Amino acid sequence: MTRTLLVTGGGGVGKTTVAAAIAVRAARSGMRTLVVTVDPARRLATALGVEELGNEPQPHADEPNLWAAMLDASASWRAVAVRHAEPEVATRLADNEFFQAASEHFPASQSYAAADQAATFVQAKAWDLVVVDTPPSGGGIDFFTAPAQMADLVGGRLLRWITGGPLPGRRIFFNVAARPVLRIADSILGSDLLERVAEFLLDLRTTYDGVSRRGREIETVLGSASIFVITTSDPAPLREAIKFYRELPGLAASPAAVVFNRILPEEWADAKAPRGTSAALELNLARWSAETMRQRDSREEFSSRYGAHIATIPWSTTPPTDLDGLAGLLEGAEMLPWDAVGIE
Amino acid sequence: MLDKRLVLVSGKGGVGKSAVAAGLSLLAQRRGLRVLAMEMDSPGGLSAHFATGPLDFEPREIRPGLHAMQMVRSDALLEYLALQLKIKGMTRFGALARAFDALATTAPGIREIITIGKAVWEVREDRWDVVIADAPPTGQIGSFLRAPATIAELVPTGRVRTQADFMSETLKDPEVTELVLICLPEELPVTETEETLQWLAKEDVIAKPTVIANRVLEELVDPDTPPGPVGEAAELHRSLWAEQQRWLRRLPPDQSLPYLHGLFTPGEVAAHMADEFEVFA
Repeated sequence: MTRTLLVTGGGGVGKTTVAAAIAVRAARSGMRTLVVTVDPARRLATALGVEELGNEPQPHADEPNLWAAMLDASASWRAVAVRHAEPEVATRLADNEFFQAASEHFPASQSYAAADQAATFVQAKAWDLVVVDTPPSGGGIDFFTAPAQMADLVGGRLLRWITGGPLPGRRIFFNVAARPVLRIADSILGSDLLERVAEFLLDLRTTYDGVSRRGREIETVLGSASIFVITTSDPAPLREAIKFYRELPGLAASPAAVVFNRILPEEWADAKAPRGTSAALELNLARWSAETMRQRDSREEFSSRYGAHIATIPWSTTPPTDLDGLAGLLEGAEMLPWDAVGIE
Repeated sequence: MLDKRLVLVSGKGGVGKSAVAAGLSLLAQRRGLRVLAMEMDSPGGLSAHFATGPLDFEPREIRPGLHAMQMVRSDALLEYLALQLKIKGMTRFGALARAFDALATTAPGIREIITIGKAVWEVREDRWDVVIADAPPTGQIGSFLRAPATIAELVPTGRVRTQADFMSETLKDPEVTELVLICLPEELPVTETEETLQWLAKEDVIAKPTVIANRVLEELVDPDTPPGPVGEAAELHRSLWAEQQRWLRRLPPDQSLPYLHGLFTPGEVAAHMADEFEVFA
């Protein structure tokens, strides 16, 4: 059985690093582990042994049970359309200016591509554990809503309205109600822009059955995954974590843990500088002590308000540059629910 | 910054761009300017720092002289059609609005131009001395700034084209518009800021941006490391400081904002930011 761990959270919380660290721990405990990342820092990519974007998992040179893949989300979105379209339509789509734009700007497209690719890895049954670092958009929620959003885009209500039918042929392209509207739109836009968009959407529409079927498969895979929400004690990522907690029910399993990263030692909270300490060192301690208290308060508030299982990872001052560094990151971690990912 | 009419605050996610936008807005208000603070992206970011609860599309005066609003694309679209394109009686043209919404999802630049266009429109209106926008993150800011040019490529003539050209001019005018990029002295934010700067230098869509480093630690002058928490905290600080210096050397910022230790509500963070900006904004 392949277990799946989704590591989510807002930007800048160290999510990618934590996902990599968990994968290293799993690999070293004997599990065949794949870590899927979206946009790692260069040093982290080097540590994982992936230097180039690509959807092919690379085996790590020094760690026999570890594979890593760095997703090229834009490429995989194109692949989705090509996979589900007739060859002639697929070619037309790949060259289409609107398709390029939609794949860049449609908020869920990167998340969809990542979710699709992650599900493919899980379904391959080649690993004991697949750790997925989700794209940060929407605080990670996009990753779960993307399959449905994608199906809605390609089968879209807007297209049905413009074209006037569930799956019209090209000849009955514009329905009667829409025609005057298109004329006005054309006069404002000064071109046949809207018509070109509708033609593109018609092509995209032919992929609807495939995309929606695949969307349901992806949802099934994601629905049985374990989830860790990573955050720091800063207000912005905390807000993302709360949003995630509120909106997730119904989309996937309840998170196995909310992991507070960059945690300072608890005993600093009440620490006082002894007599004779220099003013500079005393001020420094007072500042970090205040930071420790803020961290403790934000954890307690999250735990009492949302009933979440809270785990912590200590603040590591230098980003890990190799596998030992990554593994070391979790040495002082507390309350991480390892059983949720099958690590003993 | 506050001598401009439009200040766009961007940065990688998690670097504190909403806090900076809120702080700048508070400072402008303290100085007696008529301010519009605009949440262009990620609802809730800016309003948390004003402690006002959710904002609406219609600007609301949250302090004397300081109005705040949240971008809502469908509202902005209707307003755009009614005010900019002079299409009257939008209720009768709900169908047209839907058609534009289809465009906004697929056609390059439409979604962006409605958003950036709202900011430019407010500048032209003279209701405000300064419009301060919590803009989209650096990963997306390029497509927003380039939207007028993208539209110009797609739409050769017509009213939309005329509007797009006007927006381009407003964004490019260094007397009117300033882009502020917030950055943390860490690997990913610095790399992303560098990429954004390179892209901007090439594209000619806006004047050279101001780079502000956020959460910058002070140097700890005492080199001692006594046992216990005093020494541990000193070592942590020195180590973080050294890592930050490495990234500050690589991308020297125009300004720095200090790390705020301890118990701050989002509202307090914004007030601190405003104090810091007293010196150089």
